[in-house]
Formats: sequence, structure tokens, C-alpha cells
Amino acid sequence: MNNVQKFIHWFDDRLPIFTLIDNTVGRNYPAPKNLNYMWNFGSLAGIALMLQIATGIFLAMHYKPDANLAFDSVQHIMRNVEWGWLIRNLHMVGASFFFIVVYIHIFRGLYYGSYKAPREVLWWMGVTILFLMMATAFMGYVLPWGQMSYWGATVITNLMSVIPFIGDDIVTLLWGGFNVGDPTLNRFFALHYLLPFIIVGVVFLHIWALHEKHSNNPLGIELKKKTDWIPFHPYYTIKDMFGLAVYLIPFTFMVFFMPDFLGHPDNYIPADPMQTPPHIVPEWYFLPFYAILRAIPSKMLGVAAMVLAIAILYVLPWLDRGKVRSARFRPLYKLMFWVFFVNIFVLGWVGANPPEGMYVIIGQVATLVYFGFFALLPWVSKIEKTKPVPTGL
Amino acid sequence: MRIFLLTLALLVSAVSPVMAAGAGVKAPKQEWSFEGVRGDWNLEQILNGYTVATQVCLACHSFKYISHRDFTRLGFSEDQAKVLAADFGVELNDKLVSALSAEDSQATYGKIVPDLSVMTKARPDGVNYVFALLTGYKQAPAGFEVAEGGYYNEYFPGHVIAMPAPLVSDGMVTYRDGSSPTIEQMARDVTAFMAWTAEPERVDRQRMGVYVLLYLIILSVLLYFYKRRIWKDVK
Repeated sequence: MNNVQKFIHWFDDRLPIFTLIDNTVGRNYPAPKNLNYMWNFGSLAGIALMLQIATGIFLAMHYKPDANLAFDSVQHIMRNVEWGWLIRNLHMVGASFFFIVVYIHIFRGLYYGSYKAPREVLWWMGVTILFLMMATAFMGYVLPWGQMSYWGATVITNLMSVIPFIGDDIVTLLWGGFNVGDPTLNRFFALHYLLPFIIVGVVFLHIWALHEKHSNNPLGIELKKKTDWIPFHPYYTIKDMFGLAVYLIPFTFMVFFMPDFLGHPDNYIPADPMQTPPHIVPEWYFLPFYAILRAIPSKMLGVAAMVLAIAILYVLPWLDRGKVRSARFRPLYKLMFWVFFVNIFVLGWVGANPPEGMYVIIGQVATLVYFGFFALLPWVSKIEKTKPVPTGL
Repeated sequence: MRIFLLTLALLVSAVSPVMAAGAGVKAPKQEWSFEGVRGDWNLEQILNGYTVATQVCLACHSFKYISHRDFTRLGFSEDQAKVLAADFGVELNDKLVSALSAEDSQATYGKIVPDLSVMTKARPDGVNYVFALLTGYKQAPAGFEVAEGGYYNEYFPGHVIAMPAPLVSDGMVTYRDGSSPTIEQMARDVTAFMAWTAEPERVDRQRMGVYVLLYLIILSVLLYFYKRRIWKDVK
């Protein structure tokens, strides 16, 4: 043992932080050996979150949450702050890529039945993270104080007014006044800074729950043989590093060559309460849910459907009564999954277009398909004839 | 999983043009020196565009994020930038602000004239749109009613724009080399200038991007083989 090892040993004996790391992502945490590359997106999501926090802290050093200064301060970051354009582009594109990664992570969970017993609480924590991410991203998009910031904030906060009895008071509380304005921007900045750390807390619970029951796998079976498991380090540390490098290629391509592609040009027009943009669209990652909101003619029911669209994931483990996890052995579920998957893109496409003509009908059908997936699941999972499931690897 | 990635790619490519599309007539694509991985600013063009911007646009519009010092970032020396500022009658750090006040703007055009610093980012397909708009003033087609105080423009959403044609005749400005440009040349040069004021970091960013991507591609290949080596015992 050299001196460094001696020190680590001495320190770990008093505060076992190295043991904790070893048990979490080290040699002492076993993972199924048959995980495919879909399992890379969990650690990628963690890295994406860290990148948002790191870049966000530097942006906060130069940003001014003041209705008269916010837009200019973003341009100040882009022009005068050393590497400011890079930090902002990383944060801006990073938000979009965080959602891409998390959506793939969720679809992986859906496909391979990772939400099923005994991982229901792990799944709950994930859905909670999604809700928190959405709130954080929404408030982040308000901060540059462009036209879409302002009008997006107006449209979305107004939705709260449908809550019976207290709705209007909640909207006033969110706004800090009687319309979106300087106090709104101030509190959104405070909350946009706070929420990521709450997300970190829930991610901690998510990982804790994962480590209790361990990773699911593409076969969705319980791996009983000891040889079916391999230590996380070095096998999955190197696989995750390779995955990260590959992920960074499209990510940095966007950062350096088309940083504004996923944003909206109107957000480079300073917020103007006197002029409404011709059509107000949220960021791309909200479009499917925005389409659900608009598919329903009643505002109150539309808002309820939009919230339910995500909240229903909490009860998914009980809607699905099938004992087999992986869609590989569930022909009917597999078909439903792919319909659901494609349907999300249809909803996104409808959400990006004005609510008129054929888009209304398509949006309504797609909303039916969306909820139809959950409505049919209890019945399908009961009658479904599954393929024979292997007992081991 | 392969099916998944394929489907994903197909769906994304089907949806993304929708998101990039905006209202109005599609502006024809132009060639710009600053586009692409090997793109670079054409200093002469930006200087000419600056001449148009300061002699025409600045009568009403500001470039409030731009001062003459910004020219040093393009590769002009501080002395050269000082000469430009002095010719224009301002100090090196003064922002390019129009003499038209907000009140006068409201009285004349019924709205506050927008700042042009980030204009090419504030419109879909910004650079091509700005060039098309500047050269898009036409006689309104028969039967098309142009509202009072408006002008017909082929590329403006709704075709009726409050801004009168800013570039009205060939040679309305004289470039610093003594030449007198056509309307189309002025439009092209001032658009290039505006592309630079909107994203002064653009060329540096693209250049750095090439190195970052090369680095990551090599890193990915190395990590792939490293991963295979570590995993070779896993059966």
C-alpha cells in the first residue's frame, strides 16, 4: 500500500465516502450483463442535469432578472462575457437535449416494463423528476424576456385559473401582480435557480430506489445466476463514457452550428405586452402536451387532460396487469407501444401548428390514441398471450 | 433498438421542418461567406454594409448593441476603428443609436422602429429573409388593397409593411473605395453587416465547432475500442 492508498483507507474508515462510491457506481454495485445501449440514457440524463446546473450558475453571474434589463443582459452575455456565447448555447441546447435524453429514458422504461414491480417507487421518482423538469424549463424559457418568453408565460400561467375557487388567486400569486411583469420575472428566476437542486434531491431518491431493486434488463426477467451480473465498474463506467462521447457529437454540433434551431426566432424580439405574436408556441418538448390541451374544447378539461397525460404515468404499474415485463415477449403490448410512440410525434406536430382545420381533428384523434393506450392496457394485459420467457441468460 | 433509432430519425426529420417554418413567403436561399464550417466574414463586405447601415438604416433604426470598438473583434486595428468612429462623429465606445426618438417614431410610423442588432436572429431564416425583404418592394398586384401608411412587399408576412423602401436607387450611397453600388449589392452587404451584428461570435463558434467535433469523433472511436477490450471477457 502506498501513501495515497493508506490515506484513502484512513479517511474511508472515518467517513466511508469511498465505500459509498464503490457501492453506487463501483466494483461493488452489480448490474445485469445484458443491458443494451438504451440503458445509457439514465447516466446521460444525470450528466445533462449537471451540465445545466454548471452552465446555469455562470449565466446567473451575468444575467439580470429585471424586465428592463433581462433582454439586454442576455446580449451582454453573448457579446461581452468571456466565453459567454458558449456557456449560453450549452445551457440553451442542453435543455433540449436533457429532454431528448429523458424522453428516450422513459420510452426505454415503457418498452422493457421497467415501471413494473418491484420498481414502482423508482418509476414514481422518475415521473416526479419529469414534472419538475417541465416547471424548470418553462421558467427558464421566460428569463430571456423575449416575445415567446412573455406570451408563453402569459398563456401557461393563465391555465392555472381553471382550478376551482383558488385558481385566480394562484395566478395572481404566480404573477406577483395582475399581469406577467417584472415581479413574475423575478420570482421565476428565483424558482428556476431553486428547482434544479430539488431535482437533484429527487434524482438521489431515484438512484437510491434503483440500488434497492437493481436495473431491469432487456429480457425483463429476474436474473438469479451470479454470473449474469457484472460489476458496474469497469464495465458500465466505460460503456457510459463511450455513450457520453457519442452523445456529445450531435449535442456539440447543435451548440456550435445551429444553437437557435430548437428555439423560436420571436424570442429575439424583446417582450412587448402591447403586441401578441401571430401564434404562440411553447418549446418543442411541450408540444405533444400542448396539443392535448388544445384538442379539448373546454379550457378546464383541456388543462386537466394535459396534467393527466403525465400524471397517469404514476398509476401505470397498476394499469398494466401483465406479469411479463419486456415488450419482446408481449406482441400486443409491443404493437400498442409503437402506436403510442409514433402518436407522440403526431401530437408534437399538431402542437406546432395553429389549432385550425385538419389539425383540430388530427389532434383530437391523437389525444384519444394517447389516452386509449392507458385505457386499453388493463384489458389487453389481461388477455394477452405472451411468448415464452427465458428463465436465464 | 435499431428499429427504435431508425423510427426516431424518420419521425424527427418529418416533424422538424414544421418547427422551422414561419409565416410569410419563403425567401430564396442566398450564398453567404459566413455560412458553413469554413465560413468567414468578408471584411470588405461588412465595411460596405456598415456604410449602408449608417447612411440609410440609422436614420430610423438603432444597432444598440454595436459600437465602433466591435470592429476590432473582426480584425480591424483599434486605430482603424477610431478612424471609422471619427468619420461618423462619435467616440469608439458609443453605441450606434439612431437620432429618431421613440416619440417621433410613434408619430411617424405608428410604432416604435425595431432595433436591428439581432434582427437576422429574430426572423425565421433571418439573413435570407432580410435580403429578400430589402429587395422585395414591388408594385402591389392588381386588386390588392394596400392600407394607408403601408407599402407592398413581396416577402413581408401579409405583404403590407410600415417601412417605406429604404434602398430606393442605385448609388444612393458611395462606398469607402469610391464605388457606387446597386440596390441589390447594398441589400446584400447590409444583410451581411446585420448577420455580423446579430452574431459577432458566429465565425469563431463554427471554427471551434470543427475542432470539437473532430476531437469527439476520435474520442468516441478510442473509447469504443477500449470498451470492447474491457468487455471481451463478458460472455
